[in-house]
Amino acid sequence: MRDYLIKRAVSALVTLGLAIVLNFFLFRIMPGDPTRTVTGDFRITPEVRRALVHQFGLDQPLWVQFVLYLQNLATGNLGVSFQYRGTPVVAIIFGKRLLNTFVLMGSSISVALIIGITIGTIVAWKRESKFDVSVVVFSLMTYSMPVFWLGMMIILIFGYYLAAIPIAGTITVGLTYSNWFQYAADYLYHMIGPFVTLTLSFVGFYLIIMRDSILDVFTEDYMLTAKAKGLSDRKILFRHAMRNALLPMVSLIAVEVTYLFGGATMTETVFSWYGIGRLIYEAVVMADYPILQGIFFVMSILVIAANFCADVAYAFLDPRIRY
Amino acid sequence: MEVKEDRFWLYRRKLGDFWRLYRRSRLGVIGLIIVLSFVIVAVAAPWIAPFEPFYFAGDPLMKPSSTFPFGTDQVGRDIFSRVIYGTRVSLLVGLIASAMTIGLGSAIGLVSGYLGGWVDNGLMRITDLFIILPALPLMLIMASILGKGIMNIIIVITVVGWTATARMVRSQTMSLKERPFIEASRAIGSTDLHTIVRHIVPNVFPLVFANGMIAVVDAILSEAGLSFLGFGDPSSPSWGMVLHYADAAGSTVNGYWWYIVPPGICIMLLVMGFAFISYSTDQILNPRLRRR
Repeated sequence: MRDYLIKRAVSALVTLGLAIVLNFFLFRIMPGDPTRTVTGDFRITPEVRRALVHQFGLDQPLWVQFVLYLQNLATGNLGVSFQYRGTPVVAIIFGKRLLNTFVLMGSSISVALIIGITIGTIVAWKRESKFDVSVVVFSLMTYSMPVFWLGMMIILIFGYYLAAIPIAGTITVGLTYSNWFQYAADYLYHMIGPFVTLTLSFVGFYLIIMRDSILDVFTEDYMLTAKAKGLSDRKILFRHAMRNALLPMVSLIAVEVTYLFGGATMTETVFSWYGIGRLIYEAVVMADYPILQGIFFVMSILVIAANFCADVAYAFLDPRIRY
Repeated sequence: MEVKEDRFWLYRRKLGDFWRLYRRSRLGVIGLIIVLSFVIVAVAAPWIAPFEPFYFAGDPLMKPSSTFPFGTDQVGRDIFSRVIYGTRVSLLVGLIASAMTIGLGSAIGLVSGYLGGWVDNGLMRITDLFIILPALPLMLIMASILGKGIMNIIIVITVVGWTATARMVRSQTMSLKERPFIEASRAIGSTDLHTIVRHIVPNVFPLVFANGMIAVVDAILSEAGLSFLGFGDPSSPSWGMVLHYADAAGSTVNGYWWYIVPPGICIMLLVMGFAFISYSTDQILNPRLRRR
């Protein structure tokens, strides 16, 4: 077990190293003057520019730049933003935005998982029943919809026609709150749209995977043993089948963290949710490269950590795994 | 010469077997019909569409009518015609991007699996990285660096999406490499290239094909997303691009459902068509699924 953990940790660190290298060179393959991407923007004053050129060694050879880049990363210096006129990237990323994205992502991924696992188990048991077929068709439909279109449809139906949810934003602009509870209520009210969009877009995929996983487990010999022992259907399904079928879901969750950033980008953009996903879109539109580079770095750390955790969890949960 | 003919009939027979099995899958047939319908619409676009996609046919933002089945957009172009012409772009970009994705992935997988050693190690580390990184944000960042345009969208989808194919081809190649017929091929003095092209590729191909259908799905959805966010080429609008303009016109908050619903349904149907095909091919070609 210890060897396995060390091996995984080393591989995670190697991946992180590669991510940092990619992040460095990605923003230097742009055509034209390489310094332009880090400092050359009219929104940055000459004084700040000179300081940045010095800080990132932009007048020096590439390898010196790379070393300086690593030094700056180590001290948590991700440069300054163009669109926010020289505000440090770190201050923009690690603030309300990251929190908003985590709240939205965390809640929708949890709910989608719970629904996906339970319904997926049930439809696998009732395989080829009417319920199963309609659930599978529904899952395929939500999987085939572009996330942004699903969001637009939800705004159109529930925001425009039914006027049940707000059309955009994280909180009502210009509203002052008398207490904390009011703020939370307004926040949650704004979260309904993006939350439903993200949950719907993910639940179908979880359902199908869980259903497949359970069907796989059904072919195992121990299922026959359980049946031969005379266990009740409920016990067979939830004690034996579900527990074993959950294993592939563990690694899936880590991968999903990766996908959620993409889903969040679309959903946050459509609903104007003040989070990291919308920040990515804004930075892309405004050609705010330091922000993009910073997000890339933070995102890499998050997904690599998530995958490492999944590997560790998997090893603990499945005693058959011994590398 | 004779050997070549044998091969031809072998593939012919295999294809026939495949088709017999495929025909029995209802989802697969439905998927094929959906995809073929869109192909017909794409090819016959000039005859089906009542207007040119760039022709200012009416007033801005008209409601649906008999002349304009889906109304007009903010500059008075017929949305119905734009959706029909959009089929061409969405389908073509999806197919080209997925073909390139599969090509790149297969090449990396073959090299990695066949050569092994440090080449394999290095390539797989890079694969790990690209699997782990969030696809859409990475695509957006690359697209913002490369700039707008259809070619750039295809490049971005390819560079971000090759990993799944690479991993699959690699593991297949590694298991094939240990088989006697590969050793036999090497024993008679074939070059590595010959062994790969002649003996490994034909055996990996069925799985690559099944996997390829899912690559098309991913490519179509990615293209739609990137175009929606404004990276498309205005001179050849795809469905995603139509939705981009729909969003710019404030269709959701003004209730122009006729501007939003048709292109979205088209994307959904096309993706479902390919997903159904992929599901059926997988059922036939993946031996693990047959025992159920």
